[in-house]
Amino acid sequence: MRKLVAMLLALMMVLSMASIAVAEEPIVVTVFRGDPGDQPADDNKIYKMIEEEFGIKFEFEFLAGDLDETLGTKLMNEDFPDLFDGGNSAEKLINGGALIDLLPYISEEKTPNLYNHIKDLLPQLVNDNGELFIIPNYGINYNGQIVNACNGPAFFVQKQVLAWDNYPQIKTLDQYFDLIERFLAANPTDENGAKYEGFAILCEDWRHFCLINPVQHLMGQPNEGEVFINRTPDENGVYAVETFIDKPYAKPYYKKLNEMYKKGLINPDTFVMTYDQYIAKLSSGTVLGMFDQTWDFGTATAALETAGMYKNTYVALPLVYDESYGFGTISEQYLNGGVPNKDRGFGISVSCEYPERMINLFENLLSDRWQTILQWGIEGEDYYVENGRLLMTPEQYSVRSDATWKIQNQALTIWESAPKKQGSMDDGNTWAPGDQPEILQLNMSDYDKEFLAAYGYGKWADFFNPPCELAPWGEAWQIDSAPIDDDNKDFLACQDQWLPKIIMSADDAEFDANWDAFVAEIAPFAQVKTEFMQEEVMKLVNK
Amino acid sequence: MTTGAVNNIPLLPTRKKNIWKVLWDQKYLMLMSVPVLLYVLFFNYYPLWGWRYAFQNLNLNNIKKGADWIGMGNFEWLFNREDFINSIRNTLAMSTINLIVGTIASILLAILLNEVRNKGFKRTVQTVTYLPHFLSMVIVVGMAQNMFMSDGPINNLLMATKLVDKPVYWLGEGKYFWFLVAIINVWKEVGWNSIIYISTMTSIDPTLYEAASIDGAGRFRRILHVTLPGIKSTFMVLLIMNIGHLMEAGFEIQYLLGNDLTIDFSQTIDVFVMKYGISGGNYGRAIASGMFKSVVGIILLVGANFIAKKLDEDTLL
Amino acid sequence: MSTATLPNFKPRKSKNRDIVFPLVNGLILCILMFVTLFPVLNTVAISFNDGIDAVRGGIGIWPRVFSTEAYNALLSDKLTYNAFGISVARTVITTLLNLLLTSMLAFALSRKEYVFNKFITFIVVMTMYVNAGLIPNYLLISKTLKLTKTFWVYIIPTMFSCFNMIVIRTYILGLPEALAESARIDGANDLRIFWQIIFPLCTPVLATVALFVAVGSWNQWFDTQLYNGSKKNLYTLQYLLKMKLATSMQSANAANTSVDALANATKSTPVTVRCATTVISAVPILVVYPFLQRYFVTGMVLGGVKG
Repeated sequence: MRKLVAMLLALMMVLSMASIAVAEEPIVVTVFRGDPGDQPADDNKIYKMIEEEFGIKFEFEFLAGDLDETLGTKLMNEDFPDLFDGGNSAEKLINGGALIDLLPYISEEKTPNLYNHIKDLLPQLVNDNGELFIIPNYGINYNGQIVNACNGPAFFVQKQVLAWDNYPQIKTLDQYFDLIERFLAANPTDENGAKYEGFAILCEDWRHFCLINPVQHLMGQPNEGEVFINRTPDENGVYAVETFIDKPYAKPYYKKLNEMYKKGLINPDTFVMTYDQYIAKLSSGTVLGMFDQTWDFGTATAALETAGMYKNTYVALPLVYDESYGFGTISEQYLNGGVPNKDRGFGISVSCEYPERMINLFENLLSDRWQTILQWGIEGEDYYVENGRLLMTPEQYSVRSDATWKIQNQALTIWESAPKKQGSMDDGNTWAPGDQPEILQLNMSDYDKEFLAAYGYGKWADFFNPPCELAPWGEAWQIDSAPIDDDNKDFLACQDQWLPKIIMSADDAEFDANWDAFVAEIAPFAQVKTEFMQEEVMKLVNK
Repeated sequence: MTTGAVNNIPLLPTRKKNIWKVLWDQKYLMLMSVPVLLYVLFFNYYPLWGWRYAFQNLNLNNIKKGADWIGMGNFEWLFNREDFINSIRNTLAMSTINLIVGTIASILLAILLNEVRNKGFKRTVQTVTYLPHFLSMVIVVGMAQNMFMSDGPINNLLMATKLVDKPVYWLGEGKYFWFLVAIINVWKEVGWNSIIYISTMTSIDPTLYEAASIDGAGRFRRILHVTLPGIKSTFMVLLIMNIGHLMEAGFEIQYLLGNDLTIDFSQTIDVFVMKYGISGGNYGRAIASGMFKSVVGIILLVGANFIAKKLDEDTLL
Repeated sequence: MSTATLPNFKPRKSKNRDIVFPLVNGLILCILMFVTLFPVLNTVAISFNDGIDAVRGGIGIWPRVFSTEAYNALLSDKLTYNAFGISVARTVITTLLNLLLTSMLAFALSRKEYVFNKFITFIVVMTMYVNAGLIPNYLLISKTLKLTKTFWVYIIPTMFSCFNMIVIRTYILGLPEALAESARIDGANDLRIFWQIIFPLCTPVLATVALFVAVGSWNQWFDTQLYNGSKKNLYTLQYLLKMKLATSMQSANAANTSVDALANATKSTPVTVRCATTVISAVPILVVYPFLQRYFVTGMVLGGVKG
């Protein structure tokens, strides 16, 4: 096996040597990334290798202010970089005509790596005119998706709460709040006398998904954003789409939150706190539970682990409504199959003079050799190989989170925005070092190992059902709402303003009145949203 | 009437005759002012041609191809939205409160400092009070947010002194919002804004104070009759200037401190425009509302200037 | 007793007041100093605290876990020093040019006999209230003047300020008329009167205006973003710091990204770096301030022209 890899690598070397031979004079490629970032060091070792091999030197520009404002001025002035990553507003670059169609450059003969990378997903990725402007930067898995933990949305609870109750199986909303309530009654404060808070809800700005998204999951669907989609089509092949927040099945969740608020489990400050305050609270270890997405509070997890407060870190739980709610038996489905990160990543701008060389660069970077360099680094320096396994020492792994090290030793921007391989290599190693089981074990604290052992699980994802198969429309939250921008904003604003009021209702009568007023007010926007999403989902299905 | 006419008789012909001579005499004044005038026309007035976008549906999708003319469409959209009208109210309310509270506070601080005899103490106080001016709004609002939390120090103090029997929900109730903004603004800018009054006071002729003392005026009367008249023209010019800026209540502080519970009181025109204009890429709307703000600002300025002139006070124009 | 002019005057109380008032006054000012100094010290304390520890909040005016990592992160970048140089250059050049242009116009408009006085005043004052907006201004700079990706984009658009012109003009109006008059009788022209007599007399007000302009220019970052974002050798310090502050907004496709992608997607700037940034950007101004403060002790007068 190892020999094979070596031979393959050698072959790759020869191939890439060949590409140097044809190669072209050195050029400077300008790159814009619609996300803040750090300029790499001048002597960055990976960029140096790219320069030597492809004759390409990069000049990076990162976002500092408002993304749309920045893109707007660039579009108006037609001042485009060669490689253009529009971040979360990339569709504006496409609509504004800033990018070239990549499909004419991609073929099985000339660019086999890129061709194989996207061929299965092509129907999903191209637009209505059959054009492809951006190759997804994430979400294309080789040899299956690796799911070690829930990185996305879930209900979270501090590990000590589960440990206190002797590691129970918490599957439903009622079990979850019942547990927190009992824990809080037995332990009103932590060992330092700081008051525990039962459940926190972050509402700030675009992070309001903590407030408005849970219902779909309680009903057993993975993250589709703000709509509920029936996964079984009707006789005409139509997947019914509806907004869920204004539906009767949303009410019980907020009713539950209202009860918890009245019982003092929810602090009114939760509706006014900023993201910084939220992170500070989680990091102090006094918040017992919340609904969130794992990546959203990584800073807090890091702070808790550094302080050795492992018992205050969180476990993700897939909760659903139990039968008593009258929606039947719901099976949880939080994890979703590999979703390509559509329209996110590098596009090539219309003012780029050498689109072929750019495609050629991506093609070569997608080779096994370069993918290893981009993701793992240089053998002997950044990782070592033992019995065919790619491994890292604790030092080698921990230095990867050091900002100064990164700007010298990783081609971070290129790695993040260019097409990449995820999942596993053909020899069983994982493409991402952090997914490699040996490295995962190395990084897990003893507390966590014991915790998992108490449940008889090997990894955090074992709390969840396996990922479902990806729906033909991908994940609906990726659908760009720009055509109904105003209505969409009003749709969201209406939830942002009403839901806290609803949760803080003083009694049942007030709760019902608030809820009815909310449903009435949101109706016109919800209708626009529903119709739009229905149409878009079916467009994707019918491709 | 008659006297005026009589007085004008000898003047008029001379003026007319010498207009070229006057211009020639003032050639150096023109040399010093006309380049700046041209600069201002080019950098401040020439871009106003861009106000034409207020009448187009300019947005991110058509920004490259060119937008369509839609007449008053952007203005109609804005003024048909209840929350835009609301944001005009909030803008005017907050800027007025800020203007009044801010001006009083900085004059008060200037007076107190002016009464300090110890030079070292005076300088120290001045330096310390202007420091918050350099803190970014993000940091300032972050601190204020912690202070005004339900279990924050302010509520703890109020509870401890039995002034309230349950914590005040400062950050979650709209009715407190304008007040919070005023407090934070005063706290951040009082030292910086008082610099202008402090230096004005130092230029007041000291003999005026002596004369007042000899007349038997106490400290309070000296402040009332010497200090305040001494800063009157500064005050008037700043007031007129700021009245023209009443449509600018700020963006950052409301954006950072406001939340979904207080939005009816916190959303200013600039925040609204950020949300429905700029960040959605609807530049036509953003420019339309900017144009509206400018026009109102000029009306307010000219109005204030006119009233000041009627009252025979110092004016700006 | 001259109670005729001030009938309520009571001389006996005066002595008492002279002790009580300064005490009360001093006390009020001390409280004010405490209230304004606390957040500043708090910011400094946080900037010298360990980053992960600081996330938990609750730091007073002294670091809990001392660390200079935030400063190391900011100052280890070689770009920082180049950016510092650019910032100093733009601040100094802008301030000098702005002072010259602004005071020139202020002088011309302080002359009541100047025939275009009212017209120019009106045109110039209006610029404080009319603003074409971001995009028209951007097009002027980038398309008409082609200043993008040059150092001059920091200087040329900021050479004049109306507010400061009014401040200087009012100061000049407060100067004794006789000085200029006698020079004129001696045959000096307006240019010489301005340069040799008025300009040197304006030192206090020029110091104040210099502070305003310098602070404004020093704190500017948006122009770098708009016009020079792709030229890293033209980055200013404020822009660089702003970049370090910007929190990543891009939520990587969370459901199926690896832990490595996740670690980068969640990068957010530690609160310590934010505070260190504030300290670094404020220090140069604080260093310069005492030198300028000397001048405006003698005063800046802002008064109106009688209309």
